[in-house]
Amino acid sequence: MSVVMHNHTASDRAAALNEARLQYRREQRRIAWRSFVRHRLAFAGSIIVFAVLLLAVFAPVIARFDPLAVDVANRLKGPDAMHWFGTDNFGRDTFSRVAYGARISMFVGISVALITGVLGLLIGLLASYFRRLDYALMRICDGLMAFPAILLAIAIVAAMGPKVGNVILALSVVYTPNVARAVRSVGLVVKEQTYVEALGSLGAGHARILFRHIAPNCLTPVIVQGTFIFADAIISEAALSFLGAGIPAPAASWGNILYDGKMYIFNAWWMVVFPGALLMLTVFGLNMAGDGMRDLLDPHTKDK
Amino acid sequence: MTIGGMTDLSGTDGVRGEEASRKELLRIEGLVTRFHTARGTVRAVDGVSFSIGSGEILGVVGESGCGKSVTSRSIMRLYDENKAAGHEGKVLLKGRNLLELSKSEMRNVRGNEIAMIFQDTLSSLNPVYTIGNQIAEAVRRRGGAGKKEARRRAVDLLGAVGIPDPERRFEEYPHQLSGGMRQRVMIAMALACEPSLLIADEPTTALDVTIQSQILQLIGSLQERYGMSIMLITHDLGVVAEVCTRVVVMYLGQIIEDTDVRTLFERPLHPYTHGLLRSMPKADRAREGKLESIPGVVPSLHAVPRGCRFAGRCEYADSKCLEEMPSLTAAGEGHQVRCWHYDRIGREWGNGA
Repeated sequence: MSVVMHNHTASDRAAALNEARLQYRREQRRIAWRSFVRHRLAFAGSIIVFAVLLLAVFAPVIARFDPLAVDVANRLKGPDAMHWFGTDNFGRDTFSRVAYGARISMFVGISVALITGVLGLLIGLLASYFRRLDYALMRICDGLMAFPAILLAIAIVAAMGPKVGNVILALSVVYTPNVARAVRSVGLVVKEQTYVEALGSLGAGHARILFRHIAPNCLTPVIVQGTFIFADAIISEAALSFLGAGIPAPAASWGNILYDGKMYIFNAWWMVVFPGALLMLTVFGLNMAGDGMRDLLDPHTKDK
Repeated sequence: MTIGGMTDLSGTDGVRGEEASRKELLRIEGLVTRFHTARGTVRAVDGVSFSIGSGEILGVVGESGCGKSVTSRSIMRLYDENKAAGHEGKVLLKGRNLLELSKSEMRNVRGNEIAMIFQDTLSSLNPVYTIGNQIAEAVRRRGGAGKKEARRRAVDLLGAVGIPDPERRFEEYPHQLSGGMRQRVMIAMALACEPSLLIADEPTTALDVTIQSQILQLIGSLQERYGMSIMLITHDLGVVAEVCTRVVVMYLGQIIEDTDVRTLFERPLHPYTHGLLRSMPKADRAREGKLESIPGVVPSLHAVPRGCRFAGRCEYADSKCLEEMPSLTAAGEGHQVRCWHYDRIGREWGNGA
């Protein structure tokens, strides 16, 4: 009887504890969401990025034409009810091409942001924690940063061939040092906090201290840098494609649409203006989101 | 070192192969800790020897930079031994020399046999995890507990260190607690390991006075309940008076006086100890003029005086003091002092100095 009683109260207590925890988390999420919405910059930027993301995901639904379908009869038509953004020199629908181009741009941007985030976090953490590794890793980063980003990317793509995967790889190589440096500088501060020493005094090993305790405290620069790298990667992909070292024709990317449009800039302005405007808007939105994220994640500017 | 008259508390882990009179838990012999700095090598701890008995609360007293914190971290071997520091001497925990253990053996000692709490309570806890999670992690490190069990133990520990409504508090983050509460959390984490020795590095310095005494009372009561030994590092003799059984006074990397608490306050022998005692504010004494202080500053470790290290600031110092370093000498039952003139100085203190 008494055993049953005991079990009952213990499970009650566990349930109460669990309920308290869930409630607290819900409340935290609500507070985080509210401060995000209230931060106009972050919110507006995120809405823009989200809209472009929707355009990319639903391109096959939204686009009314095959982006590769050539229609010689309708070459270089201006924007009208049929072709919202006009047609290009092969009579392809520019709106469809821009929508499909958004897929490439967003895919490249997200992939590069994720890869550089993970790699940069890892390299930055190791460099900040192990002093011997620090020197080697940072000199490699310095070396990579010494190249103009676009030149290094062109070299990598030129060596490996113009494919989406290689563009992502090249841009990841180019941007990882930025994240690694930012993480390292935060990691060096976190490492000196007393709790790292306290963990050591509790017998925790290096891996546990570094990955379970220091890493979460270094996520802010990864998120902020990641957003900016997302934007930079989109610009760089466009630049690479514009230079012919990116996404190969006939696949549509904002960069190669601009490249095609360059020849007709005086008689078919829509070929350049629409993809250019969308590129600009996306990057603008990402940068706003990044700035907002920096404010929101920085404890010193909280409660604004 | 002969130390008598210590009461051994029941409930401590049995110390095998020790005589019954006073069970020695930790014994430090001739500990030296060197740091390699840009300006050369310094000996931050220079030949320190003392011992802590089972169930004893030892106070380690001295002003900033005297080596008391370095001593505690050397016991735990928290310094990077390849680069930053080098140790000499012996740190014997239950007869085992910690300085000779391998790194993984040492990791087992940390957290299992010795735990530590720190002065800065905010940065002692990881801001991204709830306090409950951090205590549960410490419980799990100790081994044998599953996730649920660890969580339950953590709640119990929060209760044991006097945190009200522990189940709710479990979910809070360090910044949501006051300094005193955070120190209680730190103590709970240390207790999770059931250590035989708790090193408390200025645990109350960052707290306000009323909280200070609460924390000290907590430490005292937990010591009795769990039967562990405590090494309490402080610069506050008031703290020493409140909870300690023995005291070691340090100055510039050396022990200059080692005695029990009563003797320290009744018949201190070292002029530096006198200075410390005189510079304590006293509530019962009318405020006549300024609070006394010890003249001069602590010499740099880069330029350690040849003779007595305190000579430059000592009103009794003569040429012998400047030339020759006194050794730590027995001045009575369980009382050691490092001074050439302790006899005379001790008498003067008795005459109402």
